[in-house]
Amino acid sequence: MSLRESAKDTGQKADLKLVTGSISDRAGVPNAGLLVELAEAVAGWRWKEVAALRERGGQDLGPQATSDAILVASGFNGITRVADAIGIRLDPHTADASVALRANLGFNSFAPPEKWESSTA
Amino acid sequence: MIGIDYSGAGLPVGSRTSAAHNNALRAIAAPGAWWSGPERLAIVQETRSAPECPVCHPRAPSTFATIDRIEHDGSNSLPPEAVEAIHGIRNDSGHLTRRWFDHVIAAGMRPEAYVELVAVVASSVVVDTFARGVGLGLPDLPPAQPGAPTPESSKDVVDAGAWVPIAREGKFNILRSLAMVPSARDLFFGAFDTSYYRTPETRFALTRPQVELVASRVSAMNECFY
Repeated sequence: MSLRESAKDTGQKADLKLVTGSISDRAGVPNAGLLVELAEAVAGWRWKEVAALRERGGQDLGPQATSDAILVASGFNGITRVADAIGIRLDPHTADASVALRANLGFNSFAPPEKWESSTA
Repeated sequence: MIGIDYSGAGLPVGSRTSAAHNNALRAIAAPGAWWSGPERLAIVQETRSAPECPVCHPRAPSTFATIDRIEHDGSNSLPPEAVEAIHGIRNDSGHLTRRWFDHVIAAGMRPEAYVELVAVVASSVVVDTFARGVGLGLPDLPPAQPGAPTPESSKDVVDAGAWVPIAREGKFNILRSLAMVPSARDLFFGAFDTSYYRTPETRFALTRPQVELVASRVSAMNECFY
């Protein structure tokens, strides 16, 4: 389920620009700015920043939510590598769930044609 | 302690996550389908040292389309094509290409061994990232278990346009991706299990939009189109 779809489920309206790093705590997801900073620092293995953000997170999100955010970021740091290293194509279910994200944020540019061009073709 | 003791973390960590991560490390130390226990641990060590590789960092994304033979500053215990694969997956997965994969295979790695290597690298990335993220050091690795690999290559796979055959059935390609080597699939998704809504028991102290925001931001950072 994409960010926008899940935000609808909770009666909120998420600004998809959050995903590319245009952060604002008024963008429809509570503590969005902190979560984006934490996701970036964890995925970038910037541990000093992560330590500082853990402190902020403990106060603003709570310790368990901060731990969970790090857990989700860690998992996606791995699963994105599986997707890219296996060269999987987009399936219809994922495509349907992420139309807005792709259209608005340029995710399709992460999949240029040469990603699938074989050297033996 | 061998493995991970999250009780010393500065944040609370659930028992399911602790068990999943420790199980993953133990599984990595055991013989797999195409790599032995010592080789799988060497893959983890190489994954950990890859960020320091001087060859990788000035590397232009286009080199993933044209590589011939790149000598990394890496392990002597793994074949060069394995080191190349590990460094590519760890350091710049968003720019990997089919041609790069073809070179790795042409250099002598079986596709099944590649799939298992992907699972070991990605599992160690999940566990190591989380351990460091909650304020701990890198987990100690268990001792390698003796024994030869037990080759497996699932027949229940199909060409779906990916670089390797993926599971014949399934809604989401990511969940089909490692099916060529079932033990590799089980390893990775075991490590990943508590990081997303994989099972009905999974609960987060974040709302669903907050979880999706973190997931989407990491995907964008890694330039993952999927």
